[in-house]
Amino acid sequence: MADLLVSGIIYGSIIALGAIGLTLIASILNFFNFAYGDLFSLGAFITFLFLDLLGDWGAFPGLSFGGGLVVATLLSVLIMLAIILLIDRFFFKPLREFDATPLFMSLASLGLAFILRAIINIVWGPEIRYYSTAIQISKKLPFGIRVKPDELFIVICTLALVTLVYLILKKTRMGKAMRAMSDNPVLAKASGVETVRVIMWTWIIAGTLITVAGTLYGIQVQLRPTMGWHFLIPLFVAVIMGGIGSFWGALIGGMVIGISEEMITAVLQNAFHSMQIDADMSGYKPAVAFVLVVLILLIKPHGIFGKKEH
Amino acid sequence: MISYFVSFLIMGSIYAMAALALNLQWGFTGLMNFGIGAFYMLGAYTSAILTCPATTEHLGGFGLPLVVGFAGAALVPGVVAFLIGFPALRLRGGTFAIALLAIHETLLLTVRNESWLTNGVWGIRGIPRPFFEVINPRHYGYFYLIIAGGLLILAYLAITKSVGSPWGRILRGISEDEDLTSMSGKNCWSYKMQSFVFGSMVMGIAGATYVHYTGFVSPQVFNPLMSTFYVWLIVMVGGTGNNKGVIVGAFLVWAIWVGSDFLTDFVPAAVATRIGFIRMLFVGIILTVTILTRPQGILSRKRLIADWYR
Repeated sequence: MADLLVSGIIYGSIIALGAIGLTLIASILNFFNFAYGDLFSLGAFITFLFLDLLGDWGAFPGLSFGGGLVVATLLSVLIMLAIILLIDRFFFKPLREFDATPLFMSLASLGLAFILRAIINIVWGPEIRYYSTAIQISKKLPFGIRVKPDELFIVICTLALVTLVYLILKKTRMGKAMRAMSDNPVLAKASGVETVRVIMWTWIIAGTLITVAGTLYGIQVQLRPTMGWHFLIPLFVAVIMGGIGSFWGALIGGMVIGISEEMITAVLQNAFHSMQIDADMSGYKPAVAFVLVVLILLIKPHGIFGKKEH
Repeated sequence: MISYFVSFLIMGSIYAMAALALNLQWGFTGLMNFGIGAFYMLGAYTSAILTCPATTEHLGGFGLPLVVGFAGAALVPGVVAFLIGFPALRLRGGTFAIALLAIHETLLLTVRNESWLTNGVWGIRGIPRPFFEVINPRHYGYFYLIIAGGLLILAYLAITKSVGSPWGRILRGISEDEDLTSMSGKNCWSYKMQSFVFGSMVMGIAGATYVHYTGFVSPQVFNPLMSTFYVWLIVMVGGTGNNKGVIVGAFLVWAIWVGSDFLTDFVPAAVATRIGFIRMLFVGIILTVTILTRPQGILSRKRLIADWYR
């Protein structure tokens, strides 16, 4: 059980990274971005591309990767930000100028999601890829917990980025403007908030987070072109569970989804086993998030940290 | 060649039926149903299980007449929509779409995993085709075209008639301004539920029409891309809230789809294996271009009812 909890925390921290970006977009740009999952895959694959170009830089002691992956990730973030800002300029900005409703923005982002996924599939093919095929030795910690050094790195990296985003939102002028936009866009505009710059910074923060999240997922699991689409539902569940626009909500929501996806099917399987019912629950792991979102929406339609009216 | 054309018309009619149902829900009521594939799937499996000859592979083999199959294919999705509607219709806009997408994925997982019920990924074979023994196989396509075309005309008449009635005006009112409609004393939730259930029943019938044509059904057909977002594409291309346009759109989009099959003969083998992704690219490009280039038709529908109330 403790092992499952640990892997849940690692998976949850990757979800939380993505969910913070998604919740900022959902509240500041005011639409559900269905292309976000495929941006996650694209980020991971562009990192893979640079890793390939840079060649072998050796690995850090204990970890499965070295400086090459760090540099590749930084380059990937830059490329992804350029792509995302171009998409905004030529795709979402015209839609905003038409005064498109949030539902149409979502639908448009869905079209974009298909384009991105098709491009990933056409360029890299449907095969499974790995950043590194090195086998890692788990470290034994007290209480029978085993952790790989890579997994520790993922959690530390997440903590650092989350703290950074928190400081940006809380301490900088831009962060204040972003929070104002998400609270009340009309009032923010009237008070002289430069909406164009706020939107640009929202994309920059969300784009950085999703690229790093995609790469971390690639380190932990593997690269598949469909990984982002399957990741999208847990992301949305985390955002909705936490309340749209809530930083802490997205963080906690992501952790809850990650841990429950890892643990609930295992717990149910044990329960069925002890009742001597023959049922295979392992196929239902992705359904946990789906059932959670329906439950949350039933009990608290505005999320745990959500405001009553957005 | 002519039989190819007949099968093209049959498949076009089936998709047109599903698209008309989505148009009722999205075009006239404003329900962003991202789970229509689930109702299409329920209709398909219900009819298959009810009418198949006895078997040990999955539940059923009831061998009931096809009329019972079609009735069940309308009833089961209708009842499921009614049950889902209780929690889901309390949600507005994007969250409704996410909840429905989640429900679609969960139902799809159930169909894949519970092989006692549906024979899992292997699917159900030997689904009876109406009057298949009586009619010369060479002319069977024409016969089935009469059935599919007849059902399409029935669906068109039923939906056009109902959206033109006072009932349909309230639906339009809800899609344009829900608060205003409920302020004029209409129970919006109840009307949304009626539209949701009605549309889902039509989708179920489209699913049954599909399985009794192909004689085979498996979960692969019902992935969200092919079953849900393909139908969304039809509605976007045909024109939201325009029933005739949607029918034209169904045949147009299916023509593009089938046309890309011919393409595989002309392109190199390496590209031909990725034709599925090129199609996905098509879906994305058509969807985004439609949204970007037809802002009047699609983005800002005229607020007929809401303006009249004011």
